[in-house]
Parts: sequence; structure tokens; C-alpha cells
Amino acid sequence: MTSAPSGPGSTDRGLTPADLYDVRFTRASMLHPGYVESEVDRVVHRAAEELARHAAEKAQLRERVRTLEAQLDGAPAHEPPSEQAVRILASAQQTADNYVAEAEQFSRQVTGEARAEYEEAVRLARENAGAIIQAAQEAAARLTGPAPDGPAQGGHGVAELEEQVAYLKAFGQACRTQLRAYLEALLSDVENEWGRAHPGALPAPARPPAQRAAPEDDADRPTAFEENTAAEGRTGNDAGTGVPAASGTRPS
Amino acid sequence: MDIPAMRANFAKAAATGDEAPLYFYAHLFLSHPETRQMFPVSMAHQRDRFFTALGDVVTRVDDLDALVPILRQLGRDHLKFGVLPAHYPAAGASLLATLEHFDPEWTPELAKSWAEAYDVVATVMIQGAEEAAGQPAWWDADVVGHERRSLDVAVLRIRPQVRYDYLAGQSLSLETELRPRLWRYYSPANAPRPDGLIELHVKARDGGPVSSALVRSIGVGDVLRLGPPLGHLTTGEDSDRDLLLVAGGMGLAPLKAMVDQVARQGPPRRVDLFAGFRTEDQIYDRADLEQLAGEHPWLTVTFAVSDDAASSLAHGEVAEVVRRAGPWSSREVRVAGPEPMVTATVAALREDGVPEHRMSSEVFAPSRPGPSVDGEVTE
Repeated sequence: MTSAPSGPGSTDRGLTPADLYDVRFTRASMLHPGYVESEVDRVVHRAAEELARHAAEKAQLRERVRTLEAQLDGAPAHEPPSEQAVRILASAQQTADNYVAEAEQFSRQVTGEARAEYEEAVRLARENAGAIIQAAQEAAARLTGPAPDGPAQGGHGVAELEEQVAYLKAFGQACRTQLRAYLEALLSDVENEWGRAHPGALPAPARPPAQRAAPEDDADRPTAFEENTAAEGRTGNDAGTGVPAASGTRPS
Repeated sequence: MDIPAMRANFAKAAATGDEAPLYFYAHLFLSHPETRQMFPVSMAHQRDRFFTALGDVVTRVDDLDALVPILRQLGRDHLKFGVLPAHYPAAGASLLATLEHFDPEWTPELAKSWAEAYDVVATVMIQGAEEAAGQPAWWDADVVGHERRSLDVAVLRIRPQVRYDYLAGQSLSLETELRPRLWRYYSPANAPRPDGLIELHVKARDGGPVSSALVRSIGVGDVLRLGPPLGHLTTGEDSDRDLLLVAGGMGLAPLKAMVDQVARQGPPRRVDLFAGFRTEDQIYDRADLEQLAGEHPWLTVTFAVSDDAASSLAHGEVAEVVRRAGPWSSREVRVAGPEPMVTATVAALREDGVPEHRMSSEVFAPSRPGPSVDGEVTE
């Protein structure tokens, strides 16, 4: 016999199916064909022991399952949460809600301010552009205007004026280009600022929102820029029946 | 079922303001922790909504004929939140616990009435959800295009991963994983296309968590979750009357979808689209619309600006501009936009002789997360 069942130390870890598969009995002598009887006996004995052990363990477990099940049936299926637990969770939720609301308020304020600045910058730039173009046009008019008064100056004067007109046109063009570049730079600057206003893009040690949101009434400002713009989402409204008569109508 | 007693009892809970819903949700989450993940981090808006709706529904349980279709739709719509039939009894138990907690005169009869009423409602909602069993609970859609059109407006192109059926003019709810459990409604700006692409117009609202994420953080390759479509604004395919479409701001989207619908499926009809904005810069979809008007002889597009002296476009509120271009009394009229604009336009057209039944409208307001008991998408 060559395998585990007779090996030292194999007895205390019990008999595994693999042990049984691996059993190799020693061939008996020529006179007695078959396996050595004592070895076979030993293995069979141990298998029997093992089976008995399993049976006992199974009975024990079955018993345990039964008692646990009995306990489960006795207990209410779902114990309602205690008043205290409900109160604690409710106030925790409320605290969390307040933080979220504060963060949203902060973001609203920052984006609102950014938008106001953006619109102001665009408006100023537009006014500037209008003023410069107008000044250029006036200058051009002054130069070309008197020309008819002085025909006596002859071809020389006309050529000179034409040259000046061309110069002014070029100057106007240059102004336009400059202004466009300026406006675009402003726009991209504002866009950048805007991007930074995104809470996710804020540097970590942002000022606490509570302080920012404090006393000035800035929170109201953004609304001024929302007029006549619809935003995300919508409300359903059956106009067929539901829309009230409006005061917004005017004759013609 | 003693409905007057139930109403009196519910009034007691409602009178506590925020306390009753706070108690309800805390109770629900403690007894069934797995339900917490169906709700957003901040429950502030959710509280008014869900608890009020629940109470409304249950006290109106005597008018089942009116309630049933709404409840079915509601049950179907709740699938996208991951609601299972097993969750209904859980919410019911917490509702009863809440009502009991805030009513010193709670009786076993009252408990029985509420339990019965809730059971009816839950059964109908579960049926509604089961009728939609052939459909997915929600649809994943890939963002395949994202275009910033102005400082705060983006046009998104999304492609649902499986077929998504809707009608031009309807809206759909969507969720992004950047803002979990916050569902918002948007209108596709195109009729259903063979390739399934959907165009969405999104304006970032100051402090709006979903809209600003959609405009500034979402990009090509991200995935959005869509709920089933809903809404009543349609082209009226049974009519071949010419259409007058009046849009204010982002209300343009569903009306552009209608133009697309007429272009794709007809019936052939004249379409006049008016789009009002505050300033010329804000006309975020101008190139597209002008191209459409160039391609289709039956379409005109008129822009109106209300606050832009330098613009060469038509000046004034879009209601006035539309009116000046009338008369429109023979048209089917569709109006979409912010509330004052919709009210003014509908009133002006009514005064000009457009019959009520040929006008329908949709108000666009910021961030409305869900349909109310009345089946409308409301604030």
C-alpha cells in the first residue's frame, strides 16, 4: 500500500474523497491473489468512521437550522425603526440638504456675477466700437466734405484727398480688426472665468459658501438676465383650456 | 374606506410642513435601506413632491376613472428609478407610520382605510409598470455630438443604444451620472430619424446642477439615461391646416421638431415659425433654422428680439411680432416658451380670432423633475 491512508499524520485530518480515490493496496503474494487484507480493513474502518462523523454533524446542523428558523418566525418580520433613529436620520438628511442648497446658491451667485460681467464687457466694447467708427466716419466726412468748395485747388488737391480717404478707410478697417480681436479676447477671457466658476474647477480651498452668500442681496441679480429665456426642463400646460387671459395684449 | 376621515387625517400631517415628509423618508430608508439609492443626495425638492403626490393620489382614490390612467403612466415612469413591485408595500408601511405619528387620534379604522386605498393605488401603478414590460425601464443613450452655441447654450446629439420611439413635440426625461438621480425634462428638436439621432437644446441655468453639467461637463462618449417620452404637444397629424409655431427661448426645440416632422412625413402644409429671444446673440440655432428655411419653400422663419436696439431683426416681444404679421385665424397654432411669453402669445392670438381648440402650448420652466399627479410636467 502506497498512499495516504497508511501514511503518518493522515488520520487526524479525516478522510477525504481524494484519499479514497488515491488508495493503492499492495498486491498480495502469488499464493494469495488480491490486496493485503489488513490494509483493506483499515481503510474500510476509517471510511465508516468518517461517514458516522458526517451523519452526526448533519444532525447537529439540522437542529441548529430548526432553532434559528423558530427564532425568525417568532420575531416580527420587519422591526419598525425606532423614533430616535428616524429623528437622527431626518436631521442628518436636513443638514445634507442645506449644504447642497448652499452650494447651489453659491454656484448660482458666481455664475450670475460672471454673466453680468460678461454682458457688461460686451456692451462696453460695443459702445466703444460704435464711437470709434463714428469718429472715423466724421473725420472722413470732414476731409471729403470741403473738397467741392475748393475746385480751384485742382487735380493735385483731389488726388491728395483721395489718398487721405483711402488712408482713413484703411484706418477704419484696422480699427475694426483691432476691436474684433479685443472683443474676442474679452469673450474668451470671460469664458475662461466662467469655466473657473464651475464648482468642480474651483481650487480646493474655496471660500466657504456661507460667507459668500452672506448679507448683500446679490443672489437676486442673476434673475435680471433670465428674462425671456427658457431654461432646461419644462412645465406642461394645456393651453387649450388652461391659459388665463393675459394682460399682455395690445391693439395692433 | 372613509375618505373624509382620511382627508382630515392627511391634513394634520400636511400641516406640519416639512416634518411629515422628513419623517416619512427617514422611516422608509431605515426600514428599507435599499430604497435610498433611488433618490438624489439632496431630498429637499423630493420631499414636497413625492409626499404631496402620494397624499393627493390617496385622497382622490374615490375618482378612480380619472386617476387610473395617470397612475398607470406614473407607475410606468417609476421604472426608470429602479422601482420594483416589492417597493410599493415598503412605501405604504412608511406612509401609514407617518400618518399615525402626526395624528393623536389615529384609529385602527383609519389605518385600514389608508391601507386599502394605498393598495388600490399601488396595484394600478404596478399594472402600469407591467404593461410596459416589453420596453426597457430606461434607455442608455451615447452622446455623439456636443456643441457650445453660446455662453450658456449647448446643442447635444445623442443616440439611444436601443430603439427609442417618440413623437415630434414630446419631451423626455434624462439623467446623467454626473448628477445621479436628478431627472430633468428636455424636448428633442427633431422628429424621429431612421438613424435614431436625437438633438437636444440645453441652456445652463445659473446654479442648475443638471443643466450646467450638460452644457459644461458632458462630452462626446458620455452616456445619458432616458426615461419614456411624454407630452401632448403634437403637430396634429389628423389636420392639414397650415401651422403657426411660436417659440420663446429654449421653447424652440419642440417646435423645430415639428418643422422636421412636416419635412419628413407631411402632410404638406405651410409652416411659419417665429422665434423670440432677448438679444440677437442669444439666437443659438440661427444658422440651422435659416438653412431649413432656405431648403423648404413652405417654411418661413422669423426672429424677434425684445432687448437689442442694435439688431436689424424684428423688434418687440414675439407675441407682438407674430400679431403684426397676422392674421392667423385659419392656422393650427403651437406655442412653447417661458410662461409670460406663452400667456401673452396665446391671449393675443385668441383675441385675433384663433379658436381655442386649435392652439396648444407648453410652458418651459427651469428644472422640473417629474410629472405631477395630474400627469403634467410641473414645477
